[in-house]
Amino acid sequence: MNSRLLDAGNAVINWARKHSLWPMFFGLSCCFVEEATALTSRYDMARFGAEVLRPSPRQADLLIVSGTVFKKIAPVVLRLYEQMPEPKWVISMGSCSNSGGMYDVYSVVQGVNQILPVDVYIPGCPPRPEAVLQGLVQLQEKIVSTEKPIRKIFHLGGGTQGTVAPLLAEGHSKTRDSRGTGYQGTPLRGSSVTPPQFYDNRSRLMWTPPASRIEWGKGDQSLAEALRERFPGLVHQAPHSSDMVTFNVHESGFRDVLFFLKHEAPGKYRRLDDLTALDESARRGTASFTMVYQLLSFDAPGRIRLKVALKGDGPVTKTITDLWPSANWYEREVFDMFGIRFDGHPNLQRILMPHGWKGHPLRKDHPGRATEMPPYTLDKAQEKQPLDAAEFLFPGGKKGAEGEPFILNIGPHHVSTHGLLRCMASLDGEEIRQLELDIGYHHRGVEKIGERQTWHQFIPYTDRVDYLAGAANNLSYVLAVEKLADIEVPERAQVIRVLLSELFRLSNHLVYFATFAHDVGAMSPNFYTFAEREMILDVVELITGGRLHPSWFRLGGVAADLPDGWKEAVEAFVKIFPGRLKEYENLITKNPIFQARTEGIGPLSLEDAMDWGVTGPNLRACGLEWDLRKKFPYSGYENFQFDVPTANGGDCYARYLVRVEEMRQSLRIVEQAVANMPSGRYVTDDYRYAVPARKDMLTAIESLIHHFINVTRGPRIPRGEAYAATEVPRGEQGYYVVSEGLGHAYRMRIRGPGFANVQALPLMARGESVADLIAIFGSLDYILPDIDR
Amino acid sequence: MEPITDGAMLSPWEPGVFSLVLFGLLVLAFIGFQLFIAHWVGERKESREKSRVYESGVIPTGTARLQFPVPFYMVAIFFLLFDVEGVFIFAWAVVFRDLGWTGWFQMVFFIIVLLVGLAYIWVKGGLDWRESHRPK
Repeated sequence: MNSRLLDAGNAVINWARKHSLWPMFFGLSCCFVEEATALTSRYDMARFGAEVLRPSPRQADLLIVSGTVFKKIAPVVLRLYEQMPEPKWVISMGSCSNSGGMYDVYSVVQGVNQILPVDVYIPGCPPRPEAVLQGLVQLQEKIVSTEKPIRKIFHLGGGTQGTVAPLLAEGHSKTRDSRGTGYQGTPLRGSSVTPPQFYDNRSRLMWTPPASRIEWGKGDQSLAEALRERFPGLVHQAPHSSDMVTFNVHESGFRDVLFFLKHEAPGKYRRLDDLTALDESARRGTASFTMVYQLLSFDAPGRIRLKVALKGDGPVTKTITDLWPSANWYEREVFDMFGIRFDGHPNLQRILMPHGWKGHPLRKDHPGRATEMPPYTLDKAQEKQPLDAAEFLFPGGKKGAEGEPFILNIGPHHVSTHGLLRCMASLDGEEIRQLELDIGYHHRGVEKIGERQTWHQFIPYTDRVDYLAGAANNLSYVLAVEKLADIEVPERAQVIRVLLSELFRLSNHLVYFATFAHDVGAMSPNFYTFAEREMILDVVELITGGRLHPSWFRLGGVAADLPDGWKEAVEAFVKIFPGRLKEYENLITKNPIFQARTEGIGPLSLEDAMDWGVTGPNLRACGLEWDLRKKFPYSGYENFQFDVPTANGGDCYARYLVRVEEMRQSLRIVEQAVANMPSGRYVTDDYRYAVPARKDMLTAIESLIHHFINVTRGPRIPRGEAYAATEVPRGEQGYYVVSEGLGHAYRMRIRGPGFANVQALPLMARGESVADLIAIFGSLDYILPDIDR
Repeated sequence: MEPITDGAMLSPWEPGVFSLVLFGLLVLAFIGFQLFIAHWVGERKESREKSRVYESGVIPTGTARLQFPVPFYMVAIFFLLFDVEGVFIFAWAVVFRDLGWTGWFQMVFFIIVLLVGLAYIWVKGGLDWRESHRPK
């Protein structure tokens, strides 16, 4: 009788729990986008009782670890789990969380099950929203079939509830070796051809034509002349450049040269486009490091690159933060990644890696893979806490004259930070007196991965650099390599690339529209715009087979031709979209609450925007008509008719207006791409670099050989360097690829638009209230993987 | 209504204070039972992390008990002032008919004075709790 009563009690409680799981609003990376999509109308997670995601762990009983668990964020994940009340369940969503996935890299925990118990694993990269629902159903089944909560509830001793799976430990219950157990001591395939060894690299035996060479125009020649006259003996023209005017500058005078270029040179180079470094130690040469400064001129659209050689193992050079305030973060990143110090830098400390990290990851002698390092275990997650906010706001303990300030952390886990960004505000009442940012919680080491994956293998990693821009990410990368190796892309492939890039711009801006409106209090747009976004993703899926991460572009073209029925699908979308957009605009654009929350909030002046390297719609909202698609046309954008929308004031409302208008322009481009899709090949016939079309591979021995080489050791890209940037939805994303003439890059630098855009965030937020800060977050449209990479 | 006599006060037969007392006891017992159930039932695991303040997943800096900015206090005081004044209006509404037009005019005057006060606070920036946005 007694046991029958308990059984009945168990059944009732399990039934109730099964239908009322409340997940936490907690996302780490790409997977969370699909998890959030599962909430929207098409998938409607509410059907399963997992109704509204709870923003605080105190109100949640289900932790869906969606995305990559980084070593810097792992202590936070663990704390959030600990702060949830009993009973609690854990679902691990996506390959990264399950096992590290494709990110076997120094900054990523190889499986969340080393620090948390996990009940259900959802496979996929990322899993589709349906897979999230299935994971939920599996957890429900687990609750009903295995849990006996009543004894726990009434303290009768015994009973089970919640996730109680044991933690897995390397060597006992888990192996991080993706080949399985028993391979200890056998190096991973390919490790002998990647840095710092290279000794077994057979790419050296192959011949390829030299890297492409650009002819310098009249303006470039006169600039070189001016530099030679002004700085005799200091500036030397690089013998060979594939992409832009390049000078080698002696370390003693590079600051003067930069000053000259910014203020006096013809066609002033106003913007510090990028700043990075190279570790030369695994290369033939005399320098140990090279600093690379890349500038951009707005007046006569053009770029220039300066390279400064540094000597010694722990080199020191001078800061340029007084010339460009935006150099602050860039120099910190170089310090963090390479260990180069900058004299006179106001705050030279680590930026991406957790404090206390040993070594500098982008040095050639730093391990690239997490599996080469000791496993990340529970005690590390308990010990390696993020630095206290006061250390950022008041370094050295200076608290200011007004007594104890109120310090508030907003993020890394916060609904409104749109990812793992940590803001630390010193508040006076509601007013933000000072704002500091701590980034690096999403550092996936993708630049290091670029040094070990072959040129083709790296493409899927580019998708994940901006996980809402999908295939648009591939473009910047393939363009850079194509520029370096001089690969011709057929016209049809170019238009397919444009079509997909613009579809992803639309999809990104729809998410922006919904989340920004949500941030200032309007809930409904979320449920509307995700419907059209699903239509776009359906088209993308029809063409590429993927949703978020199609990895669809290839060196020299795209992966396959357009399928039957693509035209009708795109046309159906083009037909309904203008009406829907109008409807959404009617909801939001003239909405007095929305206007009151955004007009005049978080203004950024055009001067500041140019100085801080702000790009994309955020720059155009300051009134400058600057779009790479117009200024440096690529992939055939010069053949399309579209306008570059701008707005004035640079406030949150202006940033919103620009993006809404951009959707209309993108739609125009999509229409033209559909109407004028050229016929012809979808991938180049230069099979030295491209993966041959399947038909050719099966019928011609030459193509078969190329196929074999290109998918195993990878094509050999000639020695040299090239930078290519595209206008992704968030701004200017650039890839700077440096090749040693091997099957993979020597250095893979990614210039993410978010890095510069977010660095300027404190400028906009100082003096505003906390609620306005949330509006500024929403209006900026940044994404963490392209800030932290 | 009949006044309750002393004798009937505690009588179970007369409707009066007894039922009120009984009702009060039942309410207390019910609340007590609920609090007890909520406290006793269910699994409880204490840990250092669980009892820590939740602040976006990181360890908070400093304490929440610090000097409060004055504007918050001002807003609270203004609210209290206007709230208490509202009580007079409620009282007036109850005897609206008895007081007639005289009362009505007096109340209108009272409300106008309140509105002038509100406008004054508004113009002086008393409702803006951001230091830098307040008119100088």
